[in-house]
Amino acid sequence: MATLKLTNLVKHFDDVVAVDHIDLEVADGEFVTLLGPSGCGKTTTLRTIAGFYYPDEGEVYFGDRIMNNIPPNKRDTAMCFQSYALFPHMSVWDNISFGLKMRKMPASEQKIKIERVMEMLSLSELGKRKPGQLSGGQQQRVALARSIVTEPEVLLFDEPLSNLDAKLRVQVRVEIREMQKRLGITAIYVTHDQDEALAISDRIVIMEQGRIEQIGDPYTIYRHPETQFVAGFIGLANIFDGVVLEVEGTRCTVQAPFGNVLINAEGQEVPHKGATIHFSWRPEDMKIRDRTSKNQITGNVLQAVFMGDITDLFIEVNGYKMRAQSDDEAKIVAGDSVSFGIAEHAFSILRE
Amino acid sequence: MKKKDKMTPFIILMLIPGVGFIVFFIGSSISITVLQSLGFFNMMGESGFTLGYWKSILSSREAIDSLLFSLRMGILSSVGTVLVAFPLALFFRKSGPAKGMLGSIIKVPLFIPALVAAFLILNLISYHGLINTTLMRLNIIDEPLRMLNDSFGWGVITIQIWKNLPFVLLILMSAISSIRDDTIDAARNLGAGYWSVLFRIYIPLAMPGILVAMILMFIKAFGDFPITSVAGPVYPSSVANRMQIMANLYQEWNQAAVLGVIIIITTFFVIWAYSRFAELVQGGA
Ligand SMILES: Nc1ncnc2c1ncn2[C@@H]1O[C@H](COP(=O)(O)OP(=O)(O)OP(=O)(O)O)[C@@H](O)[C@H]1O
Ligand SMILES: [Mg+2]
Repeated sequence: MATLKLTNLVKHFDDVVAVDHIDLEVADGEFVTLLGPSGCGKTTTLRTIAGFYYPDEGEVYFGDRIMNNIPPNKRDTAMCFQSYALFPHMSVWDNISFGLKMRKMPASEQKIKIERVMEMLSLSELGKRKPGQLSGGQQQRVALARSIVTEPEVLLFDEPLSNLDAKLRVQVRVEIREMQKRLGITAIYVTHDQDEALAISDRIVIMEQGRIEQIGDPYTIYRHPETQFVAGFIGLANIFDGVVLEVEGTRCTVQAPFGNVLINAEGQEVPHKGATIHFSWRPEDMKIRDRTSKNQITGNVLQAVFMGDITDLFIEVNGYKMRAQSDDEAKIVAGDSVSFGIAEHAFSILRE
Repeated sequence: MKKKDKMTPFIILMLIPGVGFIVFFIGSSISITVLQSLGFFNMMGESGFTLGYWKSILSSREAIDSLLFSLRMGILSSVGTVLVAFPLALFFRKSGPAKGMLGSIIKVPLFIPALVAAFLILNLISYHGLINTTLMRLNIIDEPLRMLNDSFGWGVITIQIWKNLPFVLLILMSAISSIRDDTIDAARNLGAGYWSVLFRIYIPLAMPGILVAMILMFIKAFGDFPITSVAGPVYPSSVANRMQIMANLYQEWNQAAVLGVIIIITTFFVIWAYSRFAELVQGGA
């Protein structure tokens, strides 16, 4: 078990900067997710931690040991590869036992651990098969079993659930999380599924073009995105620009294109009067027919999409489009004029 | 169950040239050789079934020595070439500019006929060849080493390896190039050092290619004529050389045919053993 620290990490591929000055500290036993669009450097970061790439700049620490020049086989990590990377010539059992064999664990002890992890991932029946005889989802579970069975200092997951069906995905991610908590292993988990990231993580690292946009626990990332990218990437958001007309403590009156809004920046950096700011709020923060909130907005419904528990609304306010949600009983259809209230604490002020 | 493809007249027509060729030339020549070894199709004298030719070959000291010599050349050349080629194939796995150059040079012997190759190497390892001259000039040895026509056959093995290295290298490189980088990375990640990666990943995954290379090399070296003629020991000769001696020198065509059948049988046996072994290595996959 160990803390993990990346300082000022840079990794180039010729002229592509895959990882661009990353700083990250992960506590012992913490579960941190790297989340970001395709090509943002998640896999590269993970492979640098595992030791397949040596950083061009910066350091990788496990605890207080600098790992920069330690080869992968001397680092106590276990990686679950995006491509599974199973050994095609070995049975499922031999694949899973490989890491234990390399650690020279006695066979009787290996057997107990392998059987337990196979049971956990519903692989018990498949021990004798070769990877070529498994479905994609089964291969993924073997890859998962092979990495977690070694109980390393640091577990590295590269989109380990992308090929499972929705139900199994939720089930396995809960199992991964429970096992990681029970064993207290530090884990770095890569995904581009935001629901997965929100559900499983202690903290989420949002990456974009090799840089870190924001680090925070799932609640903070969702409720208080700090940048336009994060606000737009996680969940749905209405993002607008505005000029600060008045500042009173943490409360600002902002002139937005669709009208003035009152934003309470409590817990955020309070902007100066006269500044131009970007701000966002979530569709579910628009409370339908809520007369008590400070911000009152009336809009025309352009489109209403019934989703079962909620209705997704695309509305137009003074010529500007925004999204809202309604969990109201009353049926809403395109063309309706609807009023909303937005609480003053619902807004996030965003950096560029 | 998949339904078998129907043999339409069109398909049969298309197959006639290829299959016909195989059946007519290869099939008939092999059967004639087999029959000759049993006393039929006699060139001189009368034809008729007899095991006499087999008896005289199997009881002849020279023939048995030739057989053992050819087996030794086949096995050692095939093992030797693969041992030299495998590390090279691993080295060439990742291409690079310098490697491209080196790779082209290594392929040169592929385009040189075996007999010419043998003469080329001759200059190097003969009694008064380059290596001996150099070693003597440097005062490392007092007397030239006997590397050619040595009674064991090292000269033959050296030339076989030199000549067939690129061919075996090509087979091994294609076997190794099908191993994914991720597979290697996964093994390293799980704690495998270089030797474990070599013995648990590279070699087993390249095993089908290794086997093919060894079989083809064995068959080549076992049935070799030109290289043994030039660089082989004075005695024994290879089976192929013995065949030529029997036929041309002694006019014993039937005994030559027996030797030919022995080469064919050995080849078939080796291929059969290979397919059994390949099944074992590959297991269920
Ligand atoms: N081996 C490599 N050689 C050259 N460029 C690479 C290599 N690996 C990654 N890159 C580049 O580095 C950038 C980051 O790639 P990376 O694989 O880390 O992205 P990712 O966040 O894992 O994306 P995805 O979600 O699609 O897996 C990309 O622009 C990619 O093209
Ligand atoms: Mg990736």
